[in-house]
Amino acid sequence: MRGRPYELPIAQPPRLPCRYPCSHRVRCAPGSLTLSDLSLQRRSGLRGSDVPDWLVQQGLPRVDTPNRIEAAGEQQWVMALSKREFWMLDGNQTALEERPASVAVTPNAWPLYCQHSHVWWHLSGDDRAALMAKLCGVDLSEAVFPVGHVAQTQMARISVIVAHHDWQGVAGFSLFLDQSLAAYAWSALEDAMQEFGAC
Amino acid sequence: MNPRLDAPYGSLIDRNQPRSFTFEGETVNGYLGDTVASALIANNHWLLSRSFKYHRPRGPLSMAGHDANTLVQTASAPNRLAEELPIDLGEAVSGQNYVGSLKRDWLRALDWLGRFLPVGFYYRAFYKPFGVWRLWEPMIRHMAGLGVANLESQPPYRDKQYLFCDVAVIGAGPAGLSAALEAANGGAQVLLVDENTQLGGALTYHRFDTDVESSTTLLSSLHQQVLGHQHIRVLSSALCNAWFTDHYLPVLQGDRMFKVRAETCILATGSTEQHVVFRNNDLPGIVLCSALDRIIRHYAIAPEGDVAVLAGNDLAYHTALQAHDAGLSVTAVIDLRPSPDDETLCEALATRNIRLETGATVSEALADRDGLRLGNIMVSHLAADGSVAGERCRIACATLAMSAGFMPAYQLACQAGASLSYDDASAHFKISGLAEGLFLAGSVNSVHTLEAVCADGRNAARAALTALGHNADTPETVSCTARVNHPWPIFKHPKGREFVDFDEDLQIKDIVNAARQGYRDIQLVKRFSTVGMGPSQGRHSALPTARLIAKATQRSVTETGVTTARPPVKPELLGLIAGRGFDPHRHTPMHEQHLALGAHMIPAGTWRRPGFYGDPVHRERWIREEALAVRNNVGIIDVSTLGGIELRGPDAAEFMNRLYTFGFLKQPVGRTRYAVLTNEHGVVIDDGVAARLADDHFYVTATTTGVDRVYRDMLKWQAQWRLSLDISNVTAAFAAVNVAGPNARRVLEAAGCDIDLSAEAFPYLDYQEAAIADIPVRMLRVGFVGELGYELHVPSMMAHRLWEIVMAAGAPWGIRPFGVETQRLLRLEKGHIIVGQDTDGMSHPGEVHLAWAVNRKKPFFVGCRSVDIVMQQPLSRLLIGFSLSPDAPRPKEGHLVLKDGDIVGNVTSCEYSPNLDRVIGLAYAHPDDAAPGSIIDVRTDNGVVVQAIVTTLPFYDPDNERQTL
Repeated sequence: MRGRPYELPIAQPPRLPCRYPCSHRVRCAPGSLTLSDLSLQRRSGLRGSDVPDWLVQQGLPRVDTPNRIEAAGEQQWVMALSKREFWMLDGNQTALEERPASVAVTPNAWPLYCQHSHVWWHLSGDDRAALMAKLCGVDLSEAVFPVGHVAQTQMARISVIVAHHDWQGVAGFSLFLDQSLAAYAWSALEDAMQEFGAC
Repeated sequence: MNPRLDAPYGSLIDRNQPRSFTFEGETVNGYLGDTVASALIANNHWLLSRSFKYHRPRGPLSMAGHDANTLVQTASAPNRLAEELPIDLGEAVSGQNYVGSLKRDWLRALDWLGRFLPVGFYYRAFYKPFGVWRLWEPMIRHMAGLGVANLESQPPYRDKQYLFCDVAVIGAGPAGLSAALEAANGGAQVLLVDENTQLGGALTYHRFDTDVESSTTLLSSLHQQVLGHQHIRVLSSALCNAWFTDHYLPVLQGDRMFKVRAETCILATGSTEQHVVFRNNDLPGIVLCSALDRIIRHYAIAPEGDVAVLAGNDLAYHTALQAHDAGLSVTAVIDLRPSPDDETLCEALATRNIRLETGATVSEALADRDGLRLGNIMVSHLAADGSVAGERCRIACATLAMSAGFMPAYQLACQAGASLSYDDASAHFKISGLAEGLFLAGSVNSVHTLEAVCADGRNAARAALTALGHNADTPETVSCTARVNHPWPIFKHPKGREFVDFDEDLQIKDIVNAARQGYRDIQLVKRFSTVGMGPSQGRHSALPTARLIAKATQRSVTETGVTTARPPVKPELLGLIAGRGFDPHRHTPMHEQHLALGAHMIPAGTWRRPGFYGDPVHRERWIREEALAVRNNVGIIDVSTLGGIELRGPDAAEFMNRLYTFGFLKQPVGRTRYAVLTNEHGVVIDDGVAARLADDHFYVTATTTGVDRVYRDMLKWQAQWRLSLDISNVTAAFAAVNVAGPNARRVLEAAGCDIDLSAEAFPYLDYQEAAIADIPVRMLRVGFVGELGYELHVPSMMAHRLWEIVMAAGAPWGIRPFGVETQRLLRLEKGHIIVGQDTDGMSHPGEVHLAWAVNRKKPFFVGCRSVDIVMQQPLSRLLIGFSLSPDAPRPKEGHLVLKDGDIVGNVTSCEYSPNLDRVIGLAYAHPDDAAPGSIIDVRTDNGVVVQAIVTTLPFYDPDNERQTL
């Protein structure tokens, strides 16, 4: 394994719960790449045929096309993973201690535990598609995978959801992956970032 | 070092940066940009290696890395091509495949013994008389192979990267450059791949016309446009080594393999120059015309001594003219034909006082005094039928450049399903039958004049644009009448040594004899003679072999064909195929806490779990102590790896009832139930615990390694049944610990659990929801290890804190964490099976004592019909418990159970039980031996058979009193 010079002093690769402080970040040469851990930020999911209507009732956008992400306010998004599965992402709130709901919000809208099942990372920078090309077989270049698109694919042989959207005004990829694979995936990304000048 | 030619010669070298290296222990000087081969030639050192079979001296042939003549040894690796090896490698270089020294190879004698070593001799020798092979084998093994592998060498970091493009253009010669530009101008994203460091292909070394300026200007123009184009990405020094379906192209560059996904692909791979087959055509100093062109133009080298050119086409004349104009002493051009097609070439030679011998060939090359370099050539007349008709003259020369024609670089196209057909008129192979979205451009498409090559490239790009749905200009008319191939550049000599295949030292007689022995098919010829099986993969031997076999079998060359082209095009490093290894592994939220406690982590599927806590040297001790702690006090184990699946909806109970063997319709809310899953064949494939959280809500656990399959099966059945429920795999969302032991209840009470944990309020097999220090907990009273126990399932982000709280609360009791190896022992004492370990692909519920978990009254569950059938059959084996004294040889999992010497089963689990002070285990045995007290034979290591006593299950706490406390 190559050395891992971090921007901030981090003793170990990310892992629960020390994975969650948002200060955890790897940055490459200026403007090239930044990988941030947003796992503290609030995210919830719903699945079922009632969900699209329920979203509208809540004043959230109705995303009719699967694998798309739309802004739902300042630092808030609705991500459609299918016609009946939606994730709500909230960059304004943290949710470390929140009890996950398991009871249906309507007869056909079941909550998902994505706050606990998936970590949320954000990869920004001009070389983000080139970096992902080292780990993922889907073309994530801007021309093919513009802002607003979502890919449910594989990265370094594990499942990952890649959402292309702005974070604090900067376009990048949100990566959602199984929390138990976080240490592995982080090291894979970090290793791939080396050639871009990780520092 | 000889002085180099002045610029513009030497396009690849930097004269301001001298470099040196050692070859065979001697220092060789050169410049940055030189290869090992070019630097050696510049120092008048043409001998690079020894041939594979006869140990003949060999030097560069193609200067393009297309042959095995220049395979050399470096400190880190053998078989490296000197034409591609940079001078500043930093490693000592030597020749290979010799005994003694490169110049004085003792095994050179094999060349004189050649008549006793015909092709295929090894198929017929070495095995008679009986037993003699043992004498031959070590000798042959010693001589086999080339070079010496450095087993201490540390491989560099190698990885892979995907690249995506609309059009992949393979080859950046004039056709490739033109195609790339046309495609990019048409709006396509283009990837241009070339194996050379310099773009331009033949434009960088060949003079297409007597007018030198035209090709130079064209190269400069194309170069500038391509490099400045925003839609073109260039990969130079990159080898496209295969074509796979849908234009999936592995491209090797440095230490990286690019996995290119292209919408369309243009092959502008050019063509490979062919040698003339005559006696001693392998002497160092005999090169292809393109090789001499490269030596002059790329490396500014003027080889010492006189130069002759053997021409089978007009292009060879340009080599002679270029060499002369660069200052080389060109003594003669020998043309196989009566005259060149372009008569002005004769004038050009005459102007330069270069002798022209037409209708002649080189019939024999003669070595210099040392026998290591060309010294003279014997020129002979050619008869009308193309045969050698008598000696004409002898010419002294140190370098002979030859060109018999060209063979399309067909490998990638043929990998894509294209076929080759031979055109007798042009004596040329042509490629047809291309895959969809695949196009040819340039000389690989049998187009050779510069103007036509460029036009062909543009046409290929237009076809690619059309295939992509872009607008494209109308194709240009491409016409090329140039004849570049001589129909029979093969000249047999009474003394032989006319090499067809340099890699394998195969001569004309070897190929012809293969046909005479009945190997008519080119594929059989290849396997019998090994022609085309060397590193060059038939680049130079395929065409003459096809011609020789066609003639020997009286068929056409098209009928004869060439051997199948398979990936890779050129030898590639296994390290590049492997790339960076990705080995996903999963950690539970408490991983760091386990490490801090000194856990010995072991793999469990993709998970890393504590096997036990302590150093592995004292494994038995730690497991014993942990087991005793659970039995006598309290322990805690991380069971987050258990699969978790939620079924929510009105039909959740109906789904459970159909899927699992037990009945679930009447399972009360707040109770758990053992759940066994069988497949359609009645085989037990998984088990777990199903907790009913609400009428419409089940939380089901599955085995660590089985949950993905269970979830997949659930989705499959749901797709058929279309019941009203939602199925979620929540394995990652919930982490879990099991607090077990007589003091478990006290520890959880001390931890602040907010519910009544008494046996009355929370009995065995109940499910309750509680909170421990505000952490929401799903609590299951289960007894996998056979003690009072609580499984606590919590949201993953909170599991780290839960572990801390329980450990702190348990400190007064001396709570001890225990690992999965200890858990396996504890459950073994209770006779609980582990699906996958104590079951196999044939185990039905009856064999593993799970008949009680099968509800025979309900109308259906997955596998019910098969379960009914197999359980009505007489048992052929039965899982039984056995025990042994502690000092008996301990059986291992997989050891065989015998009955009257026949195999009747195997051991599935076996451990020493400190609680029982016995070795205990589970094994499949014959049903006749299943009665407690029976004796079974178990064959252990080294064939030692031990006799184990069949024991009633469970071994420990037979009345299950401890887990129901």
